[in-house]
Amino acid sequence: MGLTMLTSVTFSCSLFEQDNFDAPDVTLAGNVVDVLTGAPVLTDQGSEGIRVRLTELSWGDNVEHNPDFYCMPDGTFQNTKLFKGKYHMTVDGPFIPLLRRDGSGQELADESMVMDLDSDHQVTFEVQPFLHVEWVGEPKVEDGKITAQVKVTRGVSPEDFRDKVAPMGNYTDDFLRMTDIQFFVSYSSSVGYRARDERWSSRIDYPENSFDELFGQTITLVSNGEIPEGRTVFIRAAARINFDTPVGSGTKRWNYNEAKEVLVHQ
Amino acid sequence: MRKIKRIALILALTGSCSLYSCVDLDITPKNIVTDNELLSNPAGMDIYMARMYSLMPFEDFKYMAEWGFEYNGWLNSIGIDGSGESVNRDGITTAFTGERTPYWEKGFELIRDANHIIENLPEFQGNFSEELYNHYLGEAYYIRAMAFYTMAKRFGGIPLVTRVIPYPAEEDEMEVARSSEEETWDQILSDFDTAISLLQSDSPKEGYSNKLVAQSFKSEAMLYAGSVAKYNETVSGRLTGVGRKTGVRVMGFDQARWQEASIRYFTEAYRAARAVMSTGRYALYMKRWLANDPEAQYQNMVDMFSDGSSPENIYVKHYIYPTATHAFDAYNSPFTFRAPLSAGSCPTLDFMELFEGFDRYPDGSIRVTSGENNASGNYLMYDHPLDFFKDAEPRLRAYVIFPFDEFRGQEIEVRAGVYTGETPIKPFFNSYAYNTADTRYQNLSMYNGQDKTLYLSPREGGSQELVSYNGDQMTAAGENGPFYDNGEATVTGLYIRKWLQTSPSAEIGEGKSAQPFILMRYAEVLLNAAEAAVELELAGAGSPDGSNLLQVATEAVNAIRQRAGASLLTDAITGDIQGRNTVRKERRKELAFEHKSKWDIRRWRVSHYEGRDGFWGETRDKNKFSNNENYRLRGLYPFFSTETGQYFFDARFQWVSSKTFGYKTLDYYFEIPSGEVAKSAVIDQQPNR
Repeated sequence: MGLTMLTSVTFSCSLFEQDNFDAPDVTLAGNVVDVLTGAPVLTDQGSEGIRVRLTELSWGDNVEHNPDFYCMPDGTFQNTKLFKGKYHMTVDGPFIPLLRRDGSGQELADESMVMDLDSDHQVTFEVQPFLHVEWVGEPKVEDGKITAQVKVTRGVSPEDFRDKVAPMGNYTDDFLRMTDIQFFVSYSSSVGYRARDERWSSRIDYPENSFDELFGQTITLVSNGEIPEGRTVFIRAAARINFDTPVGSGTKRWNYNEAKEVLVHQ
Repeated sequence: MRKIKRIALILALTGSCSLYSCVDLDITPKNIVTDNELLSNPAGMDIYMARMYSLMPFEDFKYMAEWGFEYNGWLNSIGIDGSGESVNRDGITTAFTGERTPYWEKGFELIRDANHIIENLPEFQGNFSEELYNHYLGEAYYIRAMAFYTMAKRFGGIPLVTRVIPYPAEEDEMEVARSSEEETWDQILSDFDTAISLLQSDSPKEGYSNKLVAQSFKSEAMLYAGSVAKYNETVSGRLTGVGRKTGVRVMGFDQARWQEASIRYFTEAYRAARAVMSTGRYALYMKRWLANDPEAQYQNMVDMFSDGSSPENIYVKHYIYPTATHAFDAYNSPFTFRAPLSAGSCPTLDFMELFEGFDRYPDGSIRVTSGENNASGNYLMYDHPLDFFKDAEPRLRAYVIFPFDEFRGQEIEVRAGVYTGETPIKPFFNSYAYNTADTRYQNLSMYNGQDKTLYLSPREGGSQELVSYNGDQMTAAGENGPFYDNGEATVTGLYIRKWLQTSPSAEIGEGKSAQPFILMRYAEVLLNAAEAAVELELAGAGSPDGSNLLQVATEAVNAIRQRAGASLLTDAITGDIQGRNTVRKERRKELAFEHKSKWDIRRWRVSHYEGRDGFWGETRDKNKFSNNENYRLRGLYPFFSTETGQYFFDARFQWVSSKTFGYKTLDYYFEIPSGEVAKSAVIDQQPNR
């Protein structure tokens, strides 16, 4: 007993030495832009938006990816708590997949980035968004209902889409079908699928290929219910095609336009 | 002083050791039980089997979908797993998108025990009669089949560990990669078949398996396999993929193979179910059943779940007071019986709508007003709340306690509120659509405005609002709720009756319940045969045994309907989607609150938005109960009108502790525990995650 105490007294200083790994201090900021126009690819925040998946490669062949995170509504992302290391970085969203594999799992193309991260880094992912959604004119308010107009165009031509997606297997032209336009209304400025108010948000579904002739046309959206007067709400529209990203996840992501602020008056 | 003595003793022992050190000490310690004790005689085998059965993945009173197999009965509820059958106040009411404790480690532990018997029992073959020896081997194959099956329906392709893996050993000897989903189901099929050939026709002991138990579960498993092979194809983009590390199709089926595989599995499901039926050993429980007597038919279906001698029971998990008990009554009884909790499984109106005996709107939903839908017309008035249910299918009444119906000798008073305004009464809300599901009775101006005509209660007892009626003070809510700030009473207006003890003298409390859980009953075998039959017909495959498929299906469904007090099919079931849905709907009704429906909607692939029209087994417009991701369930809320002294009902989305359920295509295959993927060079994650 005495001996034990003596030992611990002698070596007690070592107990106070810090044995911590340095806190992660690498910052990765990025944005996702349209390869043709350089305009940001707008998205939702949350798991229906653009997913950022980093994989730190130093752990060897069998490495699992880091926890996923998601872009902000303006198509940018930032992670300030990364460990130094070599990373494979990819994004999944409403655009042609960067990492494409065929039906048997063989890699067809990988437009992701691999980088050594050791301080502050800024990256830009250039992608081919499926659709563009743009406002047409200014929204109007009448009897607690908001009426807004949008225009939807393809961001990637059907031929280009087919060239890149068909080799991935199970291809059908039905993937290209424009399925629905969502009109999100919310008290929150981060309005989108996650932050919509169900009472007022509305949607238009387009069965089969009925939207084909409406590309580039002005579409009128009207909110649901009656929004109480005197409040400011935010609106956003989003459209999507019948194709899930990543493939097989069943999540069909929308392309968005920018949020607009609307004062609901009488 | 003591210390010195001890040192002396140690020295003495050391001395004695060195004196006798040449004696060989390589003998098995007496405190370790070995194969010699366990596998050499029936008593030892009983112990071995008891351990395996205690690890069996049975979904019963000790299983919660949200938590997985944790082998305890804490908060045990049933049907709150997003199957739509019931809801409660807690976060455990959620769609079946994963389990807190994934069935992985415990599964392989059980599989190892089974493999150990298969490999080592042959050494002791001479110690048993041939019949018993075969039976034990059969048990091992049966148990392995059950463990593989339990994993396969969660994960798809799994590592098929069919040998005792030595440890320690080289890595490639210990690592087993996931097999393809098809190989996995083939292994399950083969293990069931081996078990069936080895097992005795009667269990040598209660709780053991036998030929027919294995046949019954085989039919269930093969129905799952056949459905998955087929309905993965209905998910947009085909639900399948190969593993990154191995290139093996760990999820779903090959495009060129799914059809053949699906027919093969449905054929096996049909054969297995028919094998059980053809013995004539089991029958639907009809002991108290009387033709044209709804009361007797209701009582019959209440009794069948507690009668140990029921000819319908094929495999039952028994409990014994006071050593092996559960707490189902403690968590699920009506509020006035709470001990310490209650109302853990509140049936929904959507579930009730599967049953016969109610007036309907044109869209098929249950009628509560005189209009075209529940937002129009005036509320229909009833002198007594039970008048609303007077023609209800007896089976429904056996499963669900209606407002003001009898339970354990008491009238279960359930009242959402009291309305003092004039009659006729218009619907309280101008919209009952999904997007207005978050509006509540307590937000109505008739409740909180100047001219108060609606009375509700936030809680029980002294918190009840009181209304003068006929010179008396009437509480706004019933004694059994619902209370808008206390989800411990019913949150839907309904309580579960199925499984609860009905005797007024039964003691309620945690660890006080010992009623058995029926894991497999004859009604399911009939429904398995019927569904497999219709699927085979749909696929254009012939009858596996020459029987008339659609006739077998029709007779099976009619037998169940007759016992349930439901109307019989007038025409034979047809080999089309309509016929298939007739069988599916019957299954949804009959097997409710048995931990089965969540697997049915999973294998039919009707939980995600695109497939959700088929969620209820029949076709219902999904947009009435869901947006493009989530869905909600409804309650049936009785109100009292002081003007007329009558009751009326409001049908709306869950009012108290409102819950939404989310389900995506991704969820049809649970994530492989990420730690298992990270630490192994061969275990693949699901390709779509």
